[in-house]
Amino acid sequence: MSFDDVAVLGVGMTRFGVYPDLSPLDLAREAGFLALDDAALGFGDVAEAFVGYLFGGPMTGVRAMKEFGLTGLPVTHVENASATGLVCFRDAAWAVASGRSPIAMAIGFDKMTEAAGSTPRAGGGGRDAIDNVILPTAYFSLWAMRRMHERGTKPEHFARIAAKNWNNGALTPKSHRQPDHRITVEEVLAARTLAEPMTAMMTCPVDDGAACAILGSVELARKLNPGRPVVRVKAAVLQSETYTPGHTFLGPVVGPASMTRDTANQAYEQSGIDPRDVDVALCHDAFAVEELQYYELLGFCAEGDAEKLLVDGETEIGGRIPFNTDGGLIARGHPGGPTGLAQIHELTVQLRREAGRRQVEGARTGLAHLVGGGSVCTVCLLQRV
Amino acid sequence: MSATGRERVPIESGYFSVPESDAEAPLLFGSRCKKCQETFFPRREVCASCLHRETTDVSIGPRGTLYTWTYLYVPLFNSQRADDGGYAVGQVDLPEGPRIQAVLRGGPDDFAIGMEMQLELETLRQDDEGRDVVVYRFRPRSEGGSE
Ligand SMILES: [Zn+2]
Repeated sequence: MSFDDVAVLGVGMTRFGVYPDLSPLDLAREAGFLALDDAALGFGDVAEAFVGYLFGGPMTGVRAMKEFGLTGLPVTHVENASATGLVCFRDAAWAVASGRSPIAMAIGFDKMTEAAGSTPRAGGGGRDAIDNVILPTAYFSLWAMRRMHERGTKPEHFARIAAKNWNNGALTPKSHRQPDHRITVEEVLAARTLAEPMTAMMTCPVDDGAACAILGSVELARKLNPGRPVVRVKAAVLQSETYTPGHTFLGPVVGPASMTRDTANQAYEQSGIDPRDVDVALCHDAFAVEELQYYELLGFCAEGDAEKLLVDGETEIGGRIPFNTDGGLIARGHPGGPTGLAQIHELTVQLRREAGRRQVEGARTGLAHLVGGGSVCTVCLLQRV
Repeated sequence: MSATGRERVPIESGYFSVPESDAEAPLLFGSRCKKCQETFFPRREVCASCLHRETTDVSIGPRGTLYTWTYLYVPLFNSQRADDGGYAVGQVDLPEGPRIQAVLRGGPDDFAIGMEMQLELETLRQDDEGRDVVVYRFRPRSEGGSE
C-alpha cells in the first residue's frame, strides 16, 4: 500500500493541564482508550506502537503500553524534544504505509509540571555548564528582537498572536487555558515581561497531558466508522538541521529558521499540496514570535508580509489561513511528548468538521508543524478524503 | 591570575583561553575546515558544512558585532549578579564567521543591534580550591575594560 492510503482511524487526548494526582501512565491510559474508542478498536488490534515522552526513564514507553495489556506488540521509544509527538505520528504512518503493521498507535505523554523543577526552562537558568546559559525564552526573544530590527515589527504584533491563541483556547474543551473573558492585545502587553519584548502571556504554560492517534488504511477507516469522513495522511516529514552560516552550536537552540522552510517544502513536494490549498495550520507557537515567522516559512505569505497577514485577520478563525485554532501551545498547552498528537487531534476534528464553535468552514487540508530543540523540524499534512 | 590575586580556571576546559593577566582579552577556541575554510565554535573534528574530516584549531575573537540581543527579567543562577534582577544575552557575529550566543554585560538600555562588542571573562564563583571559576561574556566595546 502507498503512503497515500494511510488514514487517521481515531484520536484521543486528555485536556492539557496540571494533574498532581495522576501519573504519566494514568494520562497515557486515558488518551489511549479515547483514541481506541474513537477508532472503534481494541488494544489487541494494535500491531505496533510509537511512544513519545521527554521525561521518564528508559523503557517508560513499554511500561505505558503494559497499562493497556500485554499483547507482544513491538514498541519503539521516540524522543525529539518538542517535536516528539509528531515524530511518533510520522513513524506510525510509515509503519502502516510500509505494510509492516496494519494498525499502528502513536502516543505521547509527559508531566512537565514535575520535570520543570529539574530543567533550566522553569527557573532562572543554570550557569554551571558552558552549554546552559541561554534559555528558550531568551532564544526566541533574540528572534523577536532581530525581527523588530529588520521589519519594524512591534510588540503589539506578538501580543495580537498571543491574544488570538488565548481566545481560541476558550473555544477548545481540551485546552489548558480557557479564559473567561476576551483577551485583548493590551492585556497581553501588560503581563509581566519575561525577556524583551516577550511577556508571560506570549508563551506557553507548563503543563501535563497525553494524546494519541491510531493509524491504519483508508479502507479500514471506512469499514470501522461507516459514514464518517476519512482523514488521510498526505505527508509526514522530519528534518534535522542543515548547516547554514551563522549557526549557533551551544545552548538550547532550535535551529536555523530555514529548517522550517526546508521541511515544509519537502512535505508540499511529497504530497503535491500547495500552501494555498491548506485550510488550517497548527505550529510551534511556544513563543508568539514563532508563529509570525512561520507564516512566511511555511509558505503562507511572502517574506516580510507576515505582519500584514496577521493584522488583516487572515490567521484568525474565519480568515484565509486560521492558525492554532485550538489555542496552540500558548493556550492549549505544551506538555512535550503529547503536543504534536494534540495537533493531530485538532486537525482530525477540524477535517471531520466536528470542531463546533471553532470549526474552520469547509476545512479539507490541514498542516501541523513543530520544531524541537537540538534541533529538528517536522511537518505533517492531513486531508479529508 | 586576576585582579583578585586568585588563580582563574574556566568553567569547562577547551572552550576559551584564560590569559594570565586580566588586562588581556580571552579568545574562543574554534576550528577551521582544512578544505573549505569554514570556521566553527566550539571546536569540532569534522566540518559541518563540507563534511571534510580534518580541521585546524584556531583562536577567534575577541571582537564582534551584535546580531541580536534581549534582556531577561529573571535572576541568573550561580551568578554574583543575581541581585541585578536580570541579565542580557545576545548573539555576536565574529569576523572569523561564527555567531556566538553568550551572556552580555550591561543593563536593558545598553545594547543596540550592530554595535561593536568585546569578549571578556566573568567570575562566577570560587571553587573548592579557592580559584575563580570564569566564563566568557561580551560587553559593548565603548565600555571600559580590557581590550
Ligand atoms: Zn569544510
